[in-house]
Amino acid sequence: MLKKIGETRKSFDEDLSKANDFATLEELRIKYLGRKGLVSQLFDSLKDVPKEEKRIVGQALNELKMHTQSKFDELKIKFDKEKVSSESYIDLSLPGRTREIGSKHILIQTLDEIKEIFKGWGFSVYEGPELESDYYNFGALNFPADHPARDMQDTFFVSEDFLLRTHTSPVQIRLMEQKKPPIRALMPGKVFRNEAISAKSYCLFHQVEGLVVDTDITFAELKGTLVAFVKQFYGKDVPYRFRASFFPFTEPSAEMDVWWQPKGKEGRWLEILGCGMVDPNVLTNVGIDSEKYVGYAFGMGIERTAMRKYGIDDIRILFDNDKRFLTQF
Amino acid sequence: MKISLNWLNDYIDLKDISVSEIVDKLTYAGLEVEEVLDQAKQFEKIVVGFVKEAKKHPNADKLSVCTVSDGTQDYNVVCGAPNVAAGQKVAFAKVGAVIPNGEMKLEKAKIRGEVSFGMICSERELGISENHEGIIVLNPSLKEGMPISDALEMNDVILEVAITPNRADALSHIGVARDLSALFDRDIKLPKVEFSESKKKSEELATVEIIDAINCPRYVGKVVSNVEIKESPDWLKKRLKSIGLRPINNVVDVTNFVLYEVGQPLHAFDLDNLNGKKIVVRQAGNDKKFTTLDSKERELDQKDLMICDGAKPVAIAGVMGGENSEVMSSTKNILIESAFFNPSSIRRTAKHLGLSTDASFRFERGTDLGITKWAARRASQLIQETAGGEIASGEIDAYPNPVDKKKTSLRFSRINKILGYDISAKEVKRILIRLGFEILGDDSQKTIQEKLLPRFDIGYKGKDFIDVVIPPSRHDIEREIDLIEEVARIYGYNKIPEINKMGVTLEQKVDHSAFDGNVRNMLNSLGFYEIITNSFLSESIAEKFGKPINVLNPQSSELSHLRPSLLPGMLTTISNNLKVNEHDLKLFEIGKVFEKITEKNISSFDDFRESECLLVCLTGNELRTDWFAQDRVFDVYDLKGFVESFLNKLMCNSAFTVSYPTADDSHLETIFNFLIGNQVLGYGGKVKKEACMLFDVDQEVFVFEMDLATLKQIAVPERTFHDLLKYPKVYRDFAFVLDISIDSHSIIEVIKSVSSNLLHNIKLFDIFQSESLGKGKKSLAFQLEYYHENRTLTEEEVDKEFRNAIKAVEQKLNGKLRGS
Repeated sequence: MLKKIGETRKSFDEDLSKANDFATLEELRIKYLGRKGLVSQLFDSLKDVPKEEKRIVGQALNELKMHTQSKFDELKIKFDKEKVSSESYIDLSLPGRTREIGSKHILIQTLDEIKEIFKGWGFSVYEGPELESDYYNFGALNFPADHPARDMQDTFFVSEDFLLRTHTSPVQIRLMEQKKPPIRALMPGKVFRNEAISAKSYCLFHQVEGLVVDTDITFAELKGTLVAFVKQFYGKDVPYRFRASFFPFTEPSAEMDVWWQPKGKEGRWLEILGCGMVDPNVLTNVGIDSEKYVGYAFGMGIERTAMRKYGIDDIRILFDNDKRFLTQF
Repeated sequence: MKISLNWLNDYIDLKDISVSEIVDKLTYAGLEVEEVLDQAKQFEKIVVGFVKEAKKHPNADKLSVCTVSDGTQDYNVVCGAPNVAAGQKVAFAKVGAVIPNGEMKLEKAKIRGEVSFGMICSERELGISENHEGIIVLNPSLKEGMPISDALEMNDVILEVAITPNRADALSHIGVARDLSALFDRDIKLPKVEFSESKKKSEELATVEIIDAINCPRYVGKVVSNVEIKESPDWLKKRLKSIGLRPINNVVDVTNFVLYEVGQPLHAFDLDNLNGKKIVVRQAGNDKKFTTLDSKERELDQKDLMICDGAKPVAIAGVMGGENSEVMSSTKNILIESAFFNPSSIRRTAKHLGLSTDASFRFERGTDLGITKWAARRASQLIQETAGGEIASGEIDAYPNPVDKKKTSLRFSRINKILGYDISAKEVKRILIRLGFEILGDDSQKTIQEKLLPRFDIGYKGKDFIDVVIPPSRHDIEREIDLIEEVARIYGYNKIPEINKMGVTLEQKVDHSAFDGNVRNMLNSLGFYEIITNSFLSESIAEKFGKPINVLNPQSSELSHLRPSLLPGMLTTISNNLKVNEHDLKLFEIGKVFEKITEKNISSFDDFRESECLLVCLTGNELRTDWFAQDRVFDVYDLKGFVESFLNKLMCNSAFTVSYPTADDSHLETIFNFLIGNQVLGYGGKVKKEACMLFDVDQEVFVFEMDLATLKQIAVPERTFHDLLKYPKVYRDFAFVLDISIDSHSIIEVIKSVSSNLLHNIKLFDIFQSESLGKGKKSLAFQLEYYHENRTLTEEEVDKEFRNAIKAVEQKLNGKLRGS
């Protein structure tokens, strides 16, 4: 009996190696694996095997069954695959059915990046109107009437007392009128300056303002915060410096520069933001005790930041909204 | 403002300090140096040469072959100048030098067979004059090899310094020197003002009467007689030229010099042209017109402050002198004016005249009330030096209400509180004293030298504050905080350490911009790009889209009005893209729009509406022919679909309804509104052709506009979890032939009206027209979805519902069930 099993296995292997199409494979199946095939016949004759050999013969039979079935399946799958690929070829090099994904304007993306950094430090985000009163834009921010400081910001007026805000700083006032310290706020938005449109300037741009007011705020902390920002935004090793400057609503006032090294060009210091300690007059104007509370504020232009970051040298392209530009970001 | 380093060295010795260090320190201290012009740079490789020998060129009559020494080496140089001769000291440009006039770089050259290693220069070639007659022959005592910039004293460095509006005190060389004195801890040397005066007193030769003492607190006059108006001496011309001023004559040049030396604007009147030898300071009043010394007639405001003589105005105070009293070549006797005018008065006048002069620029920022007399005397001294004459003794000093110097206190503890860093009391005092502040109760303040002697370092023990007298030149300083800034900026912002102390906020975080961010993300994922357009429009466009607000001082008539709608910006963007062959666009903009509510001028926030809007736009093709697709242009159903997808997600699937207003919008047709309850969220449709044509857009444009503030206010329902359905859904389909004019919406409403709450969804899945249906007919196929949340439905109850629906459509809409 064992011999017979061995012979059957050998002849199966031989027949299998000769099978080259579905027809011969089917013949092979009927011959060995069919209901009346050779393997079944061998199982049928198991009952004639002496009792003491039954275990061994049975084991051998099972092995034969597994062997023939698995070899047959293997070949069947192979033939199936060949059939599929020859009849319906899938050209994977065809382009896929793409869907266009839009994007935020690059200025908004830049703003989001900045917001993300400050939100991580506990800053809340506030907004305010673009059409402002003279009081919020200048008066409350310690710009004296009839003072050349007002010339620093070429202003669009819509009436004697109303204007397009020249900076996001009025939101500071609006916020402090509503909320008492501690304050940690970020205030992004559009601002307007009456500057001729050119590669370097536009009649509007975006700014983000920061304001922190508490009992124990210092210039050293202002520096620490802005340096941490610059390192996160521009990179750990970016050279930076602080210069004394003048803004009516901060005292002391400073500007911060980072070193800009365009490829193949001479490097230079680039002013990225203005900052300073909130002027006591500003705190007094919103009813905050300027002896007890100290604050710092900073403001930066988004256009300039984005232009530096992405190597854009003409500000106007940001507002042309050419699709070839939009799809780049 | 231009600052000459050579000039600066007259007041503070900085010769041993490099230019870059001066530039850095000034910049850090708030006097930002924007540009550095080094005169010597243009003369690189041009030195004093000694002509050892000069022979005729063997092949050219007019040329010489010279041997020139630079002190270390001899060079063969071919020279074409007739005046070259052995023994001369000359300006010798070596190979590699760039000749300033024409910027030609010198190379080794063969001239008619003779090799020339450089060039002997004329004045024109060096760019210092037009003289090209021959080469410059220098003073024989000059050393060979010395840079020519030093030999010609063309070695100045000019700094372009940006002065912020608070720092009027720094608008002069002495002003800048004062900051440098603090920055480098060096003494200031003021020029000695000494001269002999004649017996005649100024007061006897002229008088000054101030009528408007508010706007002219002080007026100092000084008379110099018998001057000779002529060209200024070289040193004076050189100083003025170095900072870009054109020399005029000795007297005018002296007034300009003193202005840039100490910051006090001066004016010189021809005393003989002053009626009654008298100055009256008053407002213009009835004088309506005045001709300034640039020969222009100016319209006066009655409040303009005028300098007048006994009969008429002779100058617009602090702005510009008059033609009628100008110093001319024939002038003999001069009255020097050195006054202090009220800054806001001068600013008002300069503004309405549209005239900004060196004088008005300083007066409107505030000049030094304490320097008026000194400046008048300094000018007299220099006029006498350059124009001769006699200086009348004393000054006319009209100063009706003398002003005390301002004082304030400074607590050392407050410096630490603001800066977060301790600066020693000694350093604080040193900085303030160097900047010209007086510290009260400090007997060490006799002279600057004495003040800084080490023996005074130990003062102020046990006292936390000092009282400080503010110099009258510092209009920007009044309070303690101002002094802290002075100390900090001179000490150096970069020396103050950086502290990282990111606070923990113990309150709810707020982000007003989060909603807009969400809107942006959703539209991006639907394939829309965000645009940002100009908020300004032309009047003609703006008025077609709402009630716009106009800007009083627009940049141009094209950008004169604030946008009342985002649509014009969108159409402009489409137009621009069409020009570059970008036809298929899915865009959106989020931005403020402005509308005027009142007919009057805007005088309060109630007079206009500023609202944040969203405009979504589709134009061009949804698909272009591809291996899997046919061309298909966007239509109104694409727009509707995008808006529905967007609102579904944004409003958390809360039910909104759509209405189809019959009223005609001025710019849209086929309009639909989206509402929640009665609240309109926004409206959309196809932009009318007339509107498109305003922007040369000749393809169909679909837009949807929403007021984001409204959207924000409608509370998004609190999100709660719904159990997933456990029982099967049952579907029934039918198709009806109906009149073409029956909207799908009304069919759905009819079905709903006869259905129970088992019906959950009605989906229109097919729609077609054909001849076989008959003219004016269409076929609509619907799938109805039924289920119950708590049990399995029976066939019978669904069939009953379904039959009711069929009956209703047949009876109410005259529909004919297909396949029946």
